[in-house]
Amino acid sequence: MMRRFAPYAVAIAGAVAVTAAIGLVSSRFEVPGLSAFYLLLVLWLGATWGRGPAVAGSIAAFLLYDFYFVPPVGTFTVRGPSELLELIVLLAVALVTGQLAGSLRRTQSAAEALAADERAMYELATAALRSPEVTAALSLLSERAVLLDGVRRFALVAMDFGNAVPLAGGEVSPDELRQAKWAYENRRAIGVAVSDGAVKLLRTQPEAAGPAYLPLASGVAVMKIEDDHPDPADLRMLAALVGLADLLLDRRRAALEAERARGFEASDRLKAAILSSLSHELKSPIASLRAGLTALTAPQAGLQPEQRDLLRDLDGQASRLDRLVGDMLALSRLEAGLELEREPIRFADLVGTALHQLRPDLKDRDVTLEIDDDLPPVEVDELQVGRVLTNLIENANEWAPAGGKIAVGASASEDRLTAWVENDGPAIAPTDLDRVFETFWTRRARGSGLGLAIAKRVVEAHGGTIRAENRRRGPRFTFTLPLARVAASH
Amino acid sequence: MQRALRAGLRYHDFEVHAVGTGEDAVREAAAWRPDVILLDLGLPGMDGFATLRALRPTTRAGVIVVSVMPGEKDKVRALDAGADDYVVKPFGTDELVARIRAVLRRQGDVSAGEPVIRTGDLEIDLAHRSVTVGDRAVKLTPTEYELLRYLALHAGKPVTHTTLLRQVWGEYAVGDKYNTRYVVGQIRKKLGDDPANPRYIVNEPGVGYRLTAPGDSG
Repeated sequence: MMRRFAPYAVAIAGAVAVTAAIGLVSSRFEVPGLSAFYLLLVLWLGATWGRGPAVAGSIAAFLLYDFYFVPPVGTFTVRGPSELLELIVLLAVALVTGQLAGSLRRTQSAAEALAADERAMYELATAALRSPEVTAALSLLSERAVLLDGVRRFALVAMDFGNAVPLAGGEVSPDELRQAKWAYENRRAIGVAVSDGAVKLLRTQPEAAGPAYLPLASGVAVMKIEDDHPDPADLRMLAALVGLADLLLDRRRAALEAERARGFEASDRLKAAILSSLSHELKSPIASLRAGLTALTAPQAGLQPEQRDLLRDLDGQASRLDRLVGDMLALSRLEAGLELEREPIRFADLVGTALHQLRPDLKDRDVTLEIDDDLPPVEVDELQVGRVLTNLIENANEWAPAGGKIAVGASASEDRLTAWVENDGPAIAPTDLDRVFETFWTRRARGSGLGLAIAKRVVEAHGGTIRAENRRRGPRFTFTLPLARVAASH
Repeated sequence: MQRALRAGLRYHDFEVHAVGTGEDAVREAAAWRPDVILLDLGLPGMDGFATLRALRPTTRAGVIVVSVMPGEKDKVRALDAGADDYVVKPFGTDELVARIRAVLRRQGDVSAGEPVIRTGDLEIDLAHRSVTVGDRAVKLTPTEYELLRYLALHAGKPVTHTTLLRQVWGEYAVGDKYNTRYVVGQIRKKLGDDPANPRYIVNEPGVGYRLTAPGDSG
């Protein structure tokens, strides 16, 4: 308070002193235009404190000069037009001089403040960026912020994968962390805003209420600013600090995400290694079984026909076991979220491969294809989607009646291919239309109950959908695949 | 596994020598000179690929690699490293015997050096660079012809995308599988081959393509 009124006191005291000096001089010598002394005072006031004190000094000078020197002396009245003119000129010159000096001072002090801000920011930014620990840099920043006038508190809370973690600027209570999280998730500042490069206080809540929350890209600044008339320069500085904190928090998050990705990668590699060794362990004995059983079915092995039949049945069971193991491994691979090897490929090629693989099973089947020549390629994992097709076609083959039909078709829309496999077998019970895709759910005694579950997971891993429905001809399985982004022709 | 395979192959009148490691395989191949080598990629000691590389310069035997998982890239690597074919565990003796016979047949073909390759209605005349299906002459672009010629020279053998890219587009070709897929699509169209039910060029999923050999069941 005192600090603010001191310049005005000096202005009035100065005006009195100049009046005394003029009185002293004019009592001894006859010097015209002594009122110019006042201008010196006003000029000095304006240059030192700005416009306000200069104007105050001008008015004080005007009144004092009128009272003591303008006839009739000792009153505030004026005798004639020339005296009035002298007074008006004094006031006008004083006001203009004060104004000019004041604006000069304002410009200069603004430039100085800006230079100081820049210097401080530069020092802070280099220190922050040099520091290998982002948290240390944030602490530095928070310490700098509370040096600003009126800033009582400047805490930084990082938002790590949905958790609010206090990083710098002292303790943050659980309640405040909850508030910070809310502000972050809803992208809503509480009590403050940043606009035009300065922090603005919003007095929407009573002073006694909690701190202000400003959401940043990867965290929240929790601030307490207590000042009725904060210095605009300080608020600009605060905004700059907030900006720097924003950058540092972002850098921290990027580092965390990279670390996390490395972790995932390592665990993916581990899963792949386990699955690969598991498949080796499970498949090797089956391979030996099949090699031995099929060896003995050769006529040269010298077994009786019924013994050979028995061995063929056993080999069939070993093959089934192999399929089951293969399906379970495929499913666990999919659930482990192993990466797809997507590449552009024509759907007709995929169907051709599947039909070629299933050739022995489809010998007596009427398979019709409804696939246009000019379908754009799809962007999929060849082997995985091949598995979807073989599973669906095998399923259709199981259900189509003797001499029945299987149809495979596809059509393309803007960004995806819709494909279907249908047969003219019995309809699926309406309550089972969704359940057929469940793991280990099967309508047949022989099935593993995994084929359709695998198909669903593969399709969904490609961002597509799959569903079962009953058409007039029979059950149909429809699924979607993403189209390739490459041009269809070269 | 080894005993079962040995018994199974002997019933089909093959003479079989079985060894347990890659080092022994290389030694045995040089000493005994087999026609076909069946190589398990999951060998103890010297691994399957090292064995394959060591075998290749010393023997003209056909090499069939045994892979554990369909879709594992090991068989693609093995084919690129000079293997002739692959089988995926578990397999039946009949399937293995069919593969071995196909490899033996190709070895016979190569020594005959025939200038015309036929499979079904498809005829590729290497001397005149002409291709016909039935009585119809098929006009192919140079790239298409090169690809078909390479497949025809290795009829019955799976050829990887990488090998095709290198053989058709050159040693330093930078391209992806879609180039070969696209060209194969064009060839099939000109041959009147249905991609969804191909008669001549068959997809080897995850590997590449195979031109059906005259003796193949497909």
